[in-house]
Amino acid sequence: MRLPQSLFLLAVAGSTAHASDKPTRPRGVAPEFSKFYQDSAAFTCISHPAIQIPFSSVNDDFCDCPDGSDEPGTSACSHLSRNSPLTVADRPGNDDLELTLALPGFYCKNKGHRPSYIPFQRINDGICDYEQCCDGSDEWARVGGTKCEDRCREIGKRWRKEEEQRQKSMTAALKQKKALLVDAGRQQKEVEDHIVRLEAEIKGAEVKVQNLEADLKAAQEQERKLVRTKPGKGQGKIHALAGLAKGRVDELRNALVDVRRQRDETRERVKELEDILSTFKTEYNPNFNDEGVKRAVRSWEDYAARDLSSGDANSAEDHDLDEISKADSESSGVHWEHWENEDDGCGDSNILYKLAAYLPPFIVNFIEDKVIFWRTLFEEHGIHPKPNEDPSSESKAVTEARDALKSAEDSLNDLKNKIRDHQADLETDYGTASIFRALKGQCISKDSGEYTYEHCFLDQTKQVQKKGSSSMNMGRFRSIGTKSVEEINEAGEVISVDKTTLEYTNGQSCWNGPNRSTTVILECGEQNEILKTAEDEKCVYSMIVTTPAVCPGGEQAGDTAPRAKDEL
Amino acid sequence: MARSRPASRWTLLFSLVVLLGCMVIPGWTVKHENFKTCAQSGFCRRNRDFADNASAKGEAWSSPYELDPATVHFKDGHLTGVLIKTTANEKVLLPLTVSFLESGAARVVVDEEKRLKGDIELRHDSKANKKRYDEAEKWVIVGGLEVSKSATLNAQAETGFTQVLYGPGDKFQAVIRHAPFGVDFQRDGQTHVQLNHQGLLNLEHWRPKVDRPEGEEAGEDESTWWEETFGGNTDSKPRGPESVGLDITFPGYDHVFGIPEHADSLSLKETRGGSGNHKEPYRMYNSDVFEYELNSPMTLYGAIPFMQAHRKSSTVGVFWLNAAETWVDIVKSTTSPNPLSLGASSKTNTQTHWFSEAGRIDLFVFLGPSPKEISKTYGELTGYTQLPQHFAIGYHQCRWNYVTDEDVKEVDAKFDKYQIPYDVIWLDLEYTDDRKYFTWEPLTFPNPTGMQEKLDESERKLVVLIDPHIKKEEGYFVQEELNKKNFAVRNKDGDVYEGWCWPGASNWVDCFNPAVISWWNSLHKYDRFKGSLSNLFIWNDMNEPSVFNGPETTMPKDNMHYGDWEHRDIHNVNGITLVNATYQALLERKKGEVRRPFILTRSYYAGAQRMAAMWTGDNQATWGHLAASLPMVLNNGISGFPFAGADVGGFFHNPDKDLLTRWYQAGIWYPFFRAHAHIDTRRREPYLISEPHRTIISQAIRLRYQLLPAWYTAFHEASVNGIPIVRPQYYVYPDDEEGFAIDDQLYLGATGLLAKPVVAENANTADIYISDDEKYYDYFDFTVYQGAGKRHTVPAPQEKVPLLIQGGHIIPRKDRPRRSSGLMRWDPYTLVVTLDKNGEADGSLYVDDGETFNYERGGYIHRRFHFRESVLSSEDLGAKGPKTAEYLKTMDGVTVERVVIVDPPKEWREKSSVTVVEDGAKTSSAAPLEYYKQQGKKASYAVVKKPNVGIGKTWRIEF
Repeated sequence: MRLPQSLFLLAVAGSTAHASDKPTRPRGVAPEFSKFYQDSAAFTCISHPAIQIPFSSVNDDFCDCPDGSDEPGTSACSHLSRNSPLTVADRPGNDDLELTLALPGFYCKNKGHRPSYIPFQRINDGICDYEQCCDGSDEWARVGGTKCEDRCREIGKRWRKEEEQRQKSMTAALKQKKALLVDAGRQQKEVEDHIVRLEAEIKGAEVKVQNLEADLKAAQEQERKLVRTKPGKGQGKIHALAGLAKGRVDELRNALVDVRRQRDETRERVKELEDILSTFKTEYNPNFNDEGVKRAVRSWEDYAARDLSSGDANSAEDHDLDEISKADSESSGVHWEHWENEDDGCGDSNILYKLAAYLPPFIVNFIEDKVIFWRTLFEEHGIHPKPNEDPSSESKAVTEARDALKSAEDSLNDLKNKIRDHQADLETDYGTASIFRALKGQCISKDSGEYTYEHCFLDQTKQVQKKGSSSMNMGRFRSIGTKSVEEINEAGEVISVDKTTLEYTNGQSCWNGPNRSTTVILECGEQNEILKTAEDEKCVYSMIVTTPAVCPGGEQAGDTAPRAKDEL
Repeated sequence: MARSRPASRWTLLFSLVVLLGCMVIPGWTVKHENFKTCAQSGFCRRNRDFADNASAKGEAWSSPYELDPATVHFKDGHLTGVLIKTTANEKVLLPLTVSFLESGAARVVVDEEKRLKGDIELRHDSKANKKRYDEAEKWVIVGGLEVSKSATLNAQAETGFTQVLYGPGDKFQAVIRHAPFGVDFQRDGQTHVQLNHQGLLNLEHWRPKVDRPEGEEAGEDESTWWEETFGGNTDSKPRGPESVGLDITFPGYDHVFGIPEHADSLSLKETRGGSGNHKEPYRMYNSDVFEYELNSPMTLYGAIPFMQAHRKSSTVGVFWLNAAETWVDIVKSTTSPNPLSLGASSKTNTQTHWFSEAGRIDLFVFLGPSPKEISKTYGELTGYTQLPQHFAIGYHQCRWNYVTDEDVKEVDAKFDKYQIPYDVIWLDLEYTDDRKYFTWEPLTFPNPTGMQEKLDESERKLVVLIDPHIKKEEGYFVQEELNKKNFAVRNKDGDVYEGWCWPGASNWVDCFNPAVISWWNSLHKYDRFKGSLSNLFIWNDMNEPSVFNGPETTMPKDNMHYGDWEHRDIHNVNGITLVNATYQALLERKKGEVRRPFILTRSYYAGAQRMAAMWTGDNQATWGHLAASLPMVLNNGISGFPFAGADVGGFFHNPDKDLLTRWYQAGIWYPFFRAHAHIDTRRREPYLISEPHRTIISQAIRLRYQLLPAWYTAFHEASVNGIPIVRPQYYVYPDDEEGFAIDDQLYLGATGLLAKPVVAENANTADIYISDDEKYYDYFDFTVYQGAGKRHTVPAPQEKVPLLIQGGHIIPRKDRPRRSSGLMRWDPYTLVVTLDKNGEADGSLYVDDGETFNYERGGYIHRRFHFRESVLSSEDLGAKGPKTAEYLKTMDGVTVERVVIVDPPKEWREKSSVTVVEDGAKTSSAAPLEYYKQQGKKASYAVVKKPNVGIGKTWRIEF
């Protein structure tokens, strides 16, 4: 009978490998499974005890057991997996058999290092998988002439050194974490103390406001009396009106100057934007599939085609505006003194028209028109805030009283806001034992390709271009969360592990895409450090960040200020 | 396969899918205004008008072309003569050659005497070549031109005719009518192909431009003769009108296939309007068509002007060797049966009308009579499919773009983590430094060699993009050399042509120039393309060429190439000249290290199959595009270029999980199996997809890998006789009329595997058409389907690929999953045997080192497996060569570990062992046999354990 080469090699390799120490278990079997391989006459499939095969079928490079337990040292059963396209012939006589491996993998003894399992699909594939099998035992059949020398000495040595480092680092990380917890507790205490202080201050402020309200009321009473007792003495209504009008005109003038400055700025911005868009239109790639870009180009073309002369500079208009902006005097605008000295018994409303009649008509129209036009424009575009109601003119005493009340009310509101903020802050989830309180606002960054990525804990994430250093907000902090991440355990199985995340949303928006957002996945580490940033899909980023804050342990070490809420 | 799950979970999944489906925004369509309709293409309109005029005149129409009998000579298989075209004022002389080839093909060439002699004047002081382009064959034809020694003039020819007998056993005859000129090609006395039967032969001869005094009407409509403007670009047309046109009729044929590339059904539709028909002719003008639409005769990236006509028991074909813009009209006419002659049925004739903007008429006619013979003869001319490196038939993972070398390594590691095999990872253009080819982006790919070395650890490969546009930038060494050596395409004024593509302003390398090929070769050497290693291969994209700001997104037709040919003359072969240059470059990047190149090309022409694989370009993540990929891949296969695939998952937009899963299950049946995605899409590597989809996708990919021995054998067959790797129904059953139009199921090589991928949303079954009365077995559970000429409903829940094995086959597999195909090299085989009605089965296996050309010197294993009279045997099909012994030695330990016999004879119930006899062994041995009885509709089967016969050995297993 012909001895197949693989079997032959098995025999040879087996005899050499175990020449010195007597073979106690078949190739690839870990000590914890050796009990299944004691009987030298028959073998019972581990998960299917009903199936018995001759012991000579163990490691004969043919898969007999539906759980692969007869081939601990070969790849013959590596196809028994949910990931394989199995047929009925793989489940002899039992179509419904769930085919899963009983063993976690091929056991590499790795003398001089630590033993480990390697997936069966890597046995005798011609590749020395030193990462799992430093002793090279995974390539025992030497297929295609593959020889894997034993490298456990050097690999083991390196690993031990690294492991020592890792342990040190873990110890350091835990220390760091404790410091963070202390810090977080202290900060939380500060906030709580602050709230107590603020509550007292608010009480005081409320009393003050009440007093001032009374003062104002008194002043107003006084005022009304004054107005009643001194009707038009010495100065007529026109005088009063002229005073009002002057104030109004000054105000309008100032507003005009202000609006004009804003207009010029806006014009420049529009110009700059138009230039950007023109360049964009000539340089964009029409074949690139970006509907957003195409839509933008189309809209730009439409926009450019419209005549937008109202926004253009006009020197005649500017000249007019220059004139109007000059302060009034005898030679320009209205000569107010003349009016202020006038005394006349006409009705107020008539006077208004009269006043307007004295103003050069183009100024009246112009001022009203332009101010309204620009103001509306700016207000609509959110450049200029909408004005509050103008305060009416009052006596000094009333004004002072009112101002005092206003300022007292403001500071009261301020205090109330502060306390609200602090209370909200206390309600905010800062993670277990509020540990992230200690990290809030701390920034770390990392170079990656053409960008530098920045992460400021509980604040924002950023992408900064190295060339030109323009920066892009990748999201503002929203919440702490968890994400299940798939990892491979020692047996090579995919398991999911929950990791703490920091969610950042609503960053700068993308062309034809969502607002940028980032999920920061936290891992235990000695330093706060960005390990990796990836764009998982258009403008949706993930960042892997190490921090001592998520290292296990530390919370019970006292010094923290845990509250019931945190344990939820 | 995945176990079934609780219903609630499926319901949840289903509603999720529906929800996702609702969120998809429909309606991405091609920009029609960017591409010409026939009416906008001068010569297309002229030739269609010519046809309309002829048809309006009906019987009164007479083609103005006559063969002058006095000029006719027949010598050594060539018939020569002069056609005379009579016009109002002149008689134009058109030399004709009809060559009768040893292969049984005939070649008809018509040229123009004045152009041949250079006796014409070009306008605008053009320096263009005065001849009609006659060099397409330099790029396309590699053999098969030996003329027939036996072809003879038929002495009994009728008056006014010249008749030539040729072909195998002189069974073919060309009947050449002198006036008007026409040729009928006959096989066994029956006419199968007719040239100029409709009188649409049209060769626009050269004429000077006559400036008529104002007011004087031209006799003909000259509006498109001298100048044409489209999309803001004016074509100067220095030679004036010069198109060639010809009608080709297939009497009695009602199906025509071929002339890729179109996103359309396999059986081509009529093009002159009417319900279900196209209004435009099928166009072939290689173009970068953005967001192409389905069910359309619009041109795409590649062109193979090779058409087959098929009817019950007969296939014939024509190959129109012309590199200029070409359109084909198809009309089918049905003749009513004569009511007086009993039993006569109606007959459909398919009339096709071909026209090209420039060049000669150069037509090959194939008389079959079977699809396989057509493939073989066509392949002799244009070459067979390259036998690719073995890795190339594995799974390719691509994305625009893997953004850093670390990203690549991470994706690589993830595949291993999830134990999903793959062979090749791809880099789209972002790996380059500012889109300068042969460079690496220094910040994102600082360590390209480290990345390739990492991939090489599991025998994986890297493919990077190299395009023909060269960035116009000072200091870029490729640009500087291109300029210094004068290797760029020029414009009509003779200046270096500048256009826009990915890098912005660019010049185009002119691969028609032999000196360019050697320069291009030098650029790919490891010391010039720094950071490239031997496991790096090339993707040639944008080689139509795509020019963003050019007319129809390509070059102006009056651009000039090497040899003073206008771009108009050579456009459709432009793509393969780049592929050719790259192929030469990859053959021997290091002295003494000769390897089979791997190249993916987007643009192609006949002949590309010798050098590259193709994919169907920028498709979309829709069910429609998934469905369209099957006829497109099948059509490419029968057109001689079977190494074809579509982007799995769809290039544009995000596929939902169901679509992506079904796409993998379909994609494993593309000869070229690559997933690709647009830069704006979400990442979708298979391991990222949530369960149960990830498991299902893994199973599909592993099924591809399990069947790689069968795939490689099918590739080998294609590489020696041109038979498609995946075959459509009509090709396998050319006598079964019911199956001629079926283009949604396919056969893998000669394995008897029949797959029908699910391409419809929410489908849970597949209706597989079975042509014969053999038993067909479900691949996974051996359920039996039987019944000829009808569709059988096969369950197709999401986790299942509808796949049957026909009775009578032996399929070689490798069942052990590995990280890459390279690592499966030493694994043992499983043979799956299904018996036919006579209890017999047949199969074959081809294996070689998958890398070098040693197979050309005998370094391979080629076996025939045969089961007959209870004996399974392996016989040698190979021929010995100097490398045979060496290769066999390396494969010595590779054996058959298992034989599965589906539906074995009942007597085997009693058997428990078989006798194994291997050549060279002194004694026979026994191997255990286990029999498993039938369960319901599932066939019984038997498994032979560990016969351990050598795969390269001759052996017998006696049952």
